[in-house]
Amino acid sequence: MPATKLLRTSSFRLTLAYAGVFVLCVLVLFGVSYVFVTDYATQDETDEIAVEFDDIQNEAALAGEAKLPQIIDSHIRLRKDVRAVYLLLDAQGNKITGNLDAMPPVIGPTLMSLDVDGRFRTMRGHGYKLDNGDYLFIGQDTSTLNEMTDLIVRAFGVGLVATLMLALLGGALISRSVLGRIESVGKTTHAIVEGDLSQRVPLRGSGDEFDELAKGVNAMLDRIEDLMRSMRQVSNDVAHDLRTPLTRLRQRLERARLRANDPEELQDALANSITQVDSILETFGALLRIAQIEAGGRASPPAAVNVSRLLAGIVEDFAPAAEDHGQRIVAEIDKDLTLSADRELLTQMVVNLVDNAIRHSPPGTEISIEGKLMEDAFELAVSDTGPGIPPHERENVLRPFYRLEASRTTEGSGLGLSLVAAIAKRHHAKLSLLDNAPGLRVAVVFPLAA
Amino acid sequence: MRILVVEDDTETAAYLVGGLEEEGYSVTKAVNGRDGLFLATTENFDLLIIDRMLPELDGLTLVKTLRAGRIETSVLFLTTMSGIDDRVTGLNAGGDDYLVKPFAFAELLARVKALSRRPRGTQAETHFKVADLELDLLKRVVKRAGHEIQLQPREFRLLEYLMRHAGEVVTRTMLLDNVWNYHFDPRTNVVESHLSRLRTKIDKGYSPELIHTVRGAGYCLRARD
Repeated sequence: MPATKLLRTSSFRLTLAYAGVFVLCVLVLFGVSYVFVTDYATQDETDEIAVEFDDIQNEAALAGEAKLPQIIDSHIRLRKDVRAVYLLLDAQGNKITGNLDAMPPVIGPTLMSLDVDGRFRTMRGHGYKLDNGDYLFIGQDTSTLNEMTDLIVRAFGVGLVATLMLALLGGALISRSVLGRIESVGKTTHAIVEGDLSQRVPLRGSGDEFDELAKGVNAMLDRIEDLMRSMRQVSNDVAHDLRTPLTRLRQRLERARLRANDPEELQDALANSITQVDSILETFGALLRIAQIEAGGRASPPAAVNVSRLLAGIVEDFAPAAEDHGQRIVAEIDKDLTLSADRELLTQMVVNLVDNAIRHSPPGTEISIEGKLMEDAFELAVSDTGPGIPPHERENVLRPFYRLEASRTTEGSGLGLSLVAAIAKRHHAKLSLLDNAPGLRVAVVFPLAA
Repeated sequence: MRILVVEDDTETAAYLVGGLEEEGYSVTKAVNGRDGLFLATTENFDLLIIDRMLPELDGLTLVKTLRAGRIETSVLFLTTMSGIDDRVTGLNAGGDDYLVKPFAFAELLARVKALSRRPRGTQAETHFKVADLELDLLKRVVKRAGHEIQLQPREFRLLEYLMRHAGEVVTRTMLLDNVWNYHFDPRTNVVESHLSRLRTKIDKGYSPELIHTVRGAGYCLRARD
């Protein structure tokens, strides 16, 4: 991945921001530690000087004032390693003892630069006026403290550089992995734009957000591929299915032209041709309607439909026609069922199913229309005791233009069940074709919560 | 009887104008929505036949504008838009009827006649009589020669529609639209089977026959041929 691209990515910028925050944290931590440590060390030195003074006074009290110089000398020897300094002056300011040559007799706590063993050193000390008028200075080299703070600064410096490097490295790794996954989505979509609809975004199986995103994109692609396939299928079917009636129409017109001198025959031929054209137009109408239902853009929102009344109405409408075919319609409809649906589409769905049952069943068939409330769904079913559909054909008959061998001769566009399927899908209902033993049972189950 | 046809497709327009003139109507033609609106507002027509999709001003807007200007001339929409909603939007905009292209001329003619018979918004009739057949909407009673006839609810509505349009040809699609409220065509002969039952109840044993089949067009309820 080129560096410029890396710098432009939002994930890398985010990483930089994080690195900044880390550095800031380290700095704050450093500041706080520094203040606390120096404070503590200063206090410690001051305390030690006070303790030292107390010790010297106590020892002098025990051994006698006169022993003070010896006591101090022994302290100098004892605390050589911590570089403590002592100076005892008499009231006139003459040195009695001590490992300092001279200094101004400052009373109280002080910080001064002193020449010790030929080197200037920063001393923290305390000058005391003793009861006999002598002056005692006890001091301590602060270089320990200085070394400590130096150490802290160095440690934090190293830590800061390490933090910064780790943050940047981590950021680069994270953004590379994020970019990589986004790029794989991009690559897939690009391939699809190029025409390869079978491409899918690879899943890592970790179930993270990227996997979820990839799953979503893949589901979308499945749907698109499905639609594309069915579109291709439909346009093939349309081309194929319309060729037959158009060929017939052409033959009829050609024959009519040859017999143009017989007015009666010509009239018949024209009337037949119009019927033929009407049926082709009807097919187109049905296709358009299916497309419209599938596209879903309908202005009027679904309303509460009294399905019981709707079904009863359809039973009433079709009973005479069924009777004319020597068939019987029976109804088993629960009372006062309501469903949030599109009334017209719902009506057309049931009408298509009843239509099919009447037209594809012989006389003597019983057609039953059921509407039943189930636990969390509503089942609408149209069954007949006719010839039924063999199990392996049940999926096929939902396809546009698909017709069973047995019904080839029956008039119809072969789109009735496709329309039913489209309407069911539109209502999130499950359409199933079942064995009514004997006959066919078409059940549509509407979820009630929706 | 004057009809304004607003249709931009010249072939369809010629088909409409020629056919309607043959039937004795006086027809004026406009080829775009603006001209149509101008003619409809400046001249008197008994019926407007308006295509939904027109150049310059679409049919829906045209009719809405007319209705907003309180011009209540009957409107028959013609359209290739057979969408589920289109019918409803067309009627809501102020159209009185809606015919989807392609259509048979007989279908158009029947609808033109049905629309031109009455001006818009006549008061509701409740009692109809053709020869010795009577129908009372309020009491929901049908009598032939004084004898009460029992009808199923759908048969009653079918007869009511036929009697409202007595003397006119009523097409199968008009019946499906208005009696069954089916805006699609079921393949099963729903209309025919109900009509034959109604015919048996109304005409059998009585003279003259009142329900007639008009070949290639539809049905007609009338006293004489």
